[in-house]
Amino acid sequence: MIVLGSNSEIAQAFVEKILEAGGKYSTIYLFTSNKETTEKFARHIDVKFLQQTQVIELDLLKETDYTTFDEISSDLLFCATGYLGEGTEESLYDDKNTARIIDINYAKLIPVLNFFAEKMERQRSGTMIVLSSVAGERGRQSNFIYGSAKAGLSAYLSGLRNYLYSRKVHVLTVKPGFMDTKMTEGLPLNPRLTASPRQAAEVIYTAYRKQKNTAYVLPVWGVIMMVIRNIPEFIFKKLKL
Amino acid sequence: MDRGLFTSNLFQIMKPNFIQKVTNWGNYPVVEKEMKSEDAIEKIKDFVRNNNEIIARGNGRCYGDASLSEHIFSTKRLNKFISFDRLNGVIECESGVLLSDILEVIVPQGYFLFVTPGTKFISVGGAIASDVHGKNHHTEGCFSECLVEFSLLNENSEVITCSRTENAGKFWATVGGMGLTGIIISAKFKLKNIDTAYIRQESIRAENLDEIFRLFDESESWTYNVAWIDCLQTGKNTGRSILMRGEHAFKHELPKKLQEKPLRLKKKNIPTVPFYFPGFLLNSTTVKLFNFFYFNKQKRKEIKNYVDYETFFYPLDIINDWNKIYGKGGFIQYQMVIPKENAKAGMKKILETIAKSGNGSFLAVLKLFGKQNAEAYNSFPIEGYTLALDFKVNSKLTKLVEQLDAIVEEYGGRIYLTKDSMSRSSLTGYLKNVQNPKFVSLQSKRIINNI
Repeated sequence: MIVLGSNSEIAQAFVEKILEAGGKYSTIYLFTSNKETTEKFARHIDVKFLQQTQVIELDLLKETDYTTFDEISSDLLFCATGYLGEGTEESLYDDKNTARIIDINYAKLIPVLNFFAEKMERQRSGTMIVLSSVAGERGRQSNFIYGSAKAGLSAYLSGLRNYLYSRKVHVLTVKPGFMDTKMTEGLPLNPRLTASPRQAAEVIYTAYRKQKNTAYVLPVWGVIMMVIRNIPEFIFKKLKL
Repeated sequence: MDRGLFTSNLFQIMKPNFIQKVTNWGNYPVVEKEMKSEDAIEKIKDFVRNNNEIIARGNGRCYGDASLSEHIFSTKRLNKFISFDRLNGVIECESGVLLSDILEVIVPQGYFLFVTPGTKFISVGGAIASDVHGKNHHTEGCFSECLVEFSLLNENSEVITCSRTENAGKFWATVGGMGLTGIIISAKFKLKNIDTAYIRQESIRAENLDEIFRLFDESESWTYNVAWIDCLQTGKNTGRSILMRGEHAFKHELPKKLQEKPLRLKKKNIPTVPFYFPGFLLNSTTVKLFNFFYFNKQKRKEIKNYVDYETFFYPLDIINDWNKIYGKGGFIQYQMVIPKENAKAGMKKILETIAKSGNGSFLAVLKLFGKQNAEAYNSFPIEGYTLALDFKVNSKLTKLVEQLDAIVEEYGGRIYLTKDSMSRSSLTGYLKNVQNPKFVSLQSKRIINNI
């Protein structure tokens, strides 16, 4: 199993869920931009499940030599790489923040996903589970840089799903709504609409088993987004969402 | 679908604000304070450097105003295991790991916790800060007995290792020190070997206080013993209770069908209390009724059977959110210990006072502690009888607690800080070596102000 963004609480909860459910992997490859923090998780998995792992440094903002990953292959890839960045109100004109958001969520992530997609294509089997976001469905005033990057990612994933279908590889797009994680700590999120990493793992695992195309976390967000998507623009542009 | 609801409640202005409502298991008191949680040690150090009046918080299963402060550090993200020596039974993990997480890992390997309180949903950090005790205190002491070492983030933002041989002073101040010496980051402790996940249990009816005291003396050699007591009985029935004593069961003594998978328990569906019950539902009549049925469901004098460890150690954990039964007003827990010499007289007075008030609880627990470990000077247990019960929060409560405090003081006892919310300082001000402007809880401030 390959995990991108291994310090994500959602990724970690998913790894634990799939191991609890009896998943067997010779090695779990934990890609991360912060090796030290991920090593703690690797040790944790070893204690809890006697599961072998390999922690691999991958910083999207640095030059990456993909040949070092040639030996790595798997039937399952889970990508939780992401970066929320500063809200738009704080730093719309902060180019560094903008570049970072776009790179980590989209521009520098695509080549990595392409790399592993190609491997699975050659294998003629596998599943890719990638976290996008509801923020990608319609840009709103509070986080549209992040939203636009996620929008790009969602379009990429649906195209990839289409491309890989005849090649026997499945792509699952996960769209979290409100999550209770480090990324959103301190934000006043409506608790009934906010999922814990554990809950997210359960929803994603079920969607994975059923080979779904898209999964909203929590599922109610599917309904919410249908409403949001259909608000006429002349009304939407006046809202303070 | 009301779009108005969505736009106003759903999407508030998204700015981080760490002030939130926090409360412990009794839902009393509820405070609004800053609470943060981090997993990176550098960020935790920053939190300590930048604030005063900090207290660490685990799973919030304590009561009253323990682990509440102006700046609360939640250890929920310090939830990783570090190592498990399966040969020697020593486990190491971060302080936010719950005992329930640990049991999931160790029981299938033939290990159990040396000391566990009545709920497994407490963090390791909490177990140390309260120096928790269980049904085996008289044989195996408090949690600190099996504690090898822990790492502590102190007032200088340094992480120090504390054990009986290294920083021993800090070790003993922290054990039972209610978090007032710093933030526990990780800990290493020993586990006990078990053959099966089952307990050989004996339940014995006691008709009054004399009988239950006698039974405790007779049950001294049993590893585990505890009594459920009906605290609303008066006259000759005062102290009516059921003693439960147990030993870890060996494989060969188990009933045949349990012998197949002796270390595995069936997954149980745990019901959840879905909402706060209205306050009037829990009153002296309903409690009396519950107590009547609970006591009389054991018709025989003595019952011997085999139960799994969940049923024996964690009967309340079977119901999620059971604290909601007490309603939104919440409840307090009152737990004291009275030295052995005069315990019977003291307990009689306490039970009479409670029965007269009508403010009783149906979850009253009585236990005989063993000798105190003199090294663990901040730990609550001293040799004597301890009684723990719940009281719903209402207008009569303050007076009742004052009356009980007076009796406890008269008999030379004290109060368990993990449960305390309003007792007098003469019974709660016994912690030593924990004065520190950095680490302060609402409880410690209250106790100092009342001295």
